[in-house]
Amino acid sequence: MLSLMTTLGGLGSHLGGWRHPRAWTGTAMNLDQQIELARIAERGLFDLLFLADGNAVRQMDKPALFEAVSFSDRPTGFEPVTLMAALAQHTSRIGLLATATTTYEQPWTLARKFASLDHLSGGRACWNIVTSSYPGDSRNFGREDHVPRGERYARASEFVEVCKGLWDSWAPDAFPEDKDSGRYLRADRVRTLDHHGVHFDVAGPLNVARMPQGYPVLFHAGQSEPGRELAARHADCVFSVSGDIKVGRDFATDMRQRAVRHGRAASDIRIYPGATAYVAQSMAEADELFEELQSLISPSVGVPYLSKLVEEDLSGYPVDGPLPDLSGEVSGLSSFRTTIAAMAERDGLTIRETYERVLPTMGHVLFKGTATDVADQMQEWHDSGAADGFLLSAPALPFGLESIVDLLVPELQRRGLYRTAYTGSTLRENLGLPIPRNPHFDLALSGTEQS
Amino acid sequence: MTDSMILVTGVYPVGGHLAGWRHPTAYPDIAMNLDAMIELARLAERGRIQALFLADGNAVRQMDKPALFEAVAPSDRPASFEPTTVMAAIAQHTAHVGLFATATTTYEQPYLLARKFASLDHISGGRAIWNVVTGSYPGDAVNFGGGFPERTDRYRRAGEFLDVCKGLWDSWADDAFPQDKASGRFLDSSRVHVLDHVGENFAVRGPLNVARSPQGHPVLFMAGQSGPGRDLAAQHADCLFTVAQTKEESLAAVADIKGRVAAFGRDPAALKIIPGIRVNVAGSREQALDLYRELNALVSPALGVEYLSSQVKQDLSGYPLDGPMPDLSTEVAGVTSIRQSIGEMAAREGLTVRQTYQRLLAADEDPPFTGTAAEVADEMEDWFRSGACDGFMMNVPTLPLGLERVVDLLVPELQRRGLFHDDYTGGTLREELRLPVLRNAYFDTAHAGSTT
Repeated sequence: MLSLMTTLGGLGSHLGGWRHPRAWTGTAMNLDQQIELARIAERGLFDLLFLADGNAVRQMDKPALFEAVSFSDRPTGFEPVTLMAALAQHTSRIGLLATATTTYEQPWTLARKFASLDHLSGGRACWNIVTSSYPGDSRNFGREDHVPRGERYARASEFVEVCKGLWDSWAPDAFPEDKDSGRYLRADRVRTLDHHGVHFDVAGPLNVARMPQGYPVLFHAGQSEPGRELAARHADCVFSVSGDIKVGRDFATDMRQRAVRHGRAASDIRIYPGATAYVAQSMAEADELFEELQSLISPSVGVPYLSKLVEEDLSGYPVDGPLPDLSGEVSGLSSFRTTIAAMAERDGLTIRETYERVLPTMGHVLFKGTATDVADQMQEWHDSGAADGFLLSAPALPFGLESIVDLLVPELQRRGLYRTAYTGSTLRENLGLPIPRNPHFDLALSGTEQS
Repeated sequence: MTDSMILVTGVYPVGGHLAGWRHPTAYPDIAMNLDAMIELARLAERGRIQALFLADGNAVRQMDKPALFEAVAPSDRPASFEPTTVMAAIAQHTAHVGLFATATTTYEQPYLLARKFASLDHISGGRAIWNVVTGSYPGDAVNFGGGFPERTDRYRRAGEFLDVCKGLWDSWADDAFPQDKASGRFLDSSRVHVLDHVGENFAVRGPLNVARSPQGHPVLFMAGQSGPGRDLAAQHADCLFTVAQTKEESLAAVADIKGRVAAFGRDPAALKIIPGIRVNVAGSREQALDLYRELNALVSPALGVEYLSSQVKQDLSGYPLDGPMPDLSTEVAGVTSIRQSIGEMAAREGLTVRQTYQRLLAADEDPPFTGTAAEVADEMEDWFRSGACDGFMMNVPTLPLGLERVVDLLVPELQRRGLFHDDYTGGTLREELRLPVLRNAYFDTAHAGSTT
């Protein structure tokens, strides 16, 4: 079965998406639109709503791009966990994937808010573990220079361990709340963590009861070596930045092997390539939308956008000349840079051709055509082992997502590739993931847990 | 009518009395019960109450006092929601009532905190309240790697933390996001401000990645009663919770606090004083007293002494139950206002240990704010009209019963007397509370309709 997720936010994944005549107007801080997206996705039986995040306003040094607002910049947006807590009240089954950073948060505070979200949503919380790849974030937390990747991942690893320890603070039966005896809680069913590590000293216990899912579902996006290792140890699901099926399959194979090396089953880790889907009644209609959106992007926006993705200022290079050498290491997110450089070199693209190619996909795969065309491609990815599901973005909203739900989903269902109803109430149940058992309390007393 | 009094009530379903959760009418399950909190929020909104209170801390408390730990005191919260997330959820089920989230300046980061409150303000359509605390419970520190900072250090950090948050909340002009499809201009880069704060505790560049929120800044509540706490409130807060056993105590506190507000160059009326009171209203005085008697019967002396010990931050188990209270005037770490207030009361009235914990449980013969709606309203009116407060934080013994009685009995009486508003105005919470207009420090209001 394929698992689908999509992105909140409202702009659409194409840089020109928000300018399309049929796109929403007034998307900045528009809660009603977020609720509508959530409902459309839940109508389409999606597993997850995703909200990317960062802790800085980006691209202020690239005025044209800054004013044009790109998909991943988010100069204004909701803090993810508060938004998901609100959306939980308007949905009943879809998972809520909120991004939060291990680099600038504290494990206690983060563990609490995700535990709270899991309770508020009846077991639908999902944490996208990030280490803040964007260098500018550090300046909002007292550092002039970006925290080096190795240090970020060392901290992240300990951070996740502390969170898991805090989430195991209480047995599921720790709160009898017995009015007759006056015993609200059982002092023998709580555990103090007393973690003392390199980065953190956290005593615990957490002041939130054991959550419905035990732990939130854990997601990770890092494609680098330390990112893959972190995911292989801890993550239930990983994003895959893969421009084609071969790259996607290699990534998936590598992640599954790593999971096995960490003592997990290969199937314990789910692979979600990012993809943009242009689904229409005909290929011509899909092409037309694609061209319409491309025409909204001029070089004054396209070049700084590409500069941003490859983390290199390309404004000094001729737009119709080749890309400079991008093999040097950068401090932030290197996965896009590597993927894009490889593609440009392979296909001999100019800067203009590169941004025109990259813009609609951001290094991810692009599916375009009728529901049959798109389902064929998705099925190929799935059957080849490159994807357990997709982060499926629509180029413009809300109609792009409506097309996915109304045209593509029935086609996937017809093929037996996709569910026809949610089968569980918690996200873990819907994903077929086990509820982690609490290692400190025996199972005999804890009805809600399973191994 | 003069300004309406401000009424605030708690939404943590455990109730205000130590045994409140054991009452037959109380919620059978309190831990992580969102539905109960939604029900309480709606009930409060039916009573036109202006704000929902939710206390918070960052530790499990009383693990060293097993009887009290297992019995759960109202202020201990061993299992509860993180405040901003639960308020974001409650916002979806209410339309007018203010949403109160407590968060600490001692263990959080200003960028993250400013973001989540700005987000909550957008999510709630301008109803966010930040209860600014400095993490007065010493046990919180062990969850953040360090020792417990001194009060003066906590307050210095809090002052700078607030400066940073206010600067971040003013990052964007109200018209910064034209979102013009035709020109492709989503935002106006001339309408954003980079804070570039570099101070003693924080270096925060900004801008915040959230558009200016409907209220500009969330309404700021504080509860600090010490000198530094009152000064911080005088400088920054919109509302201040106070602890006072009598009207005279409250009048003295108001005089001191308003003097401090003026010393910071603010209009003394700009800071609203909200004492916490225990309200027990019923159809008759005897019925109200019966409720207290019923609950008090559930509290053993051992539990009562542990409860009192936790409130005064001193182990009283070694003292004779019917002997005098020890001197509580010595300094201890953490919240001292309740300790001080109880100590003064016990000394003034020569109370024993047992009498003191019973007083805490309202087990004395004449507890304040207890009786019929008319009797309770008389006391509230007396405090309010004599300038001892701008409103009340109402603590009811058990939930939902206590709040139902407030809404059904007390509120109509207060409205009849012209002391409490008949309905919400429909504006943001700042407008409901008639707080001064907040201008953006960095952008003129000529462009910005909603800040004028």
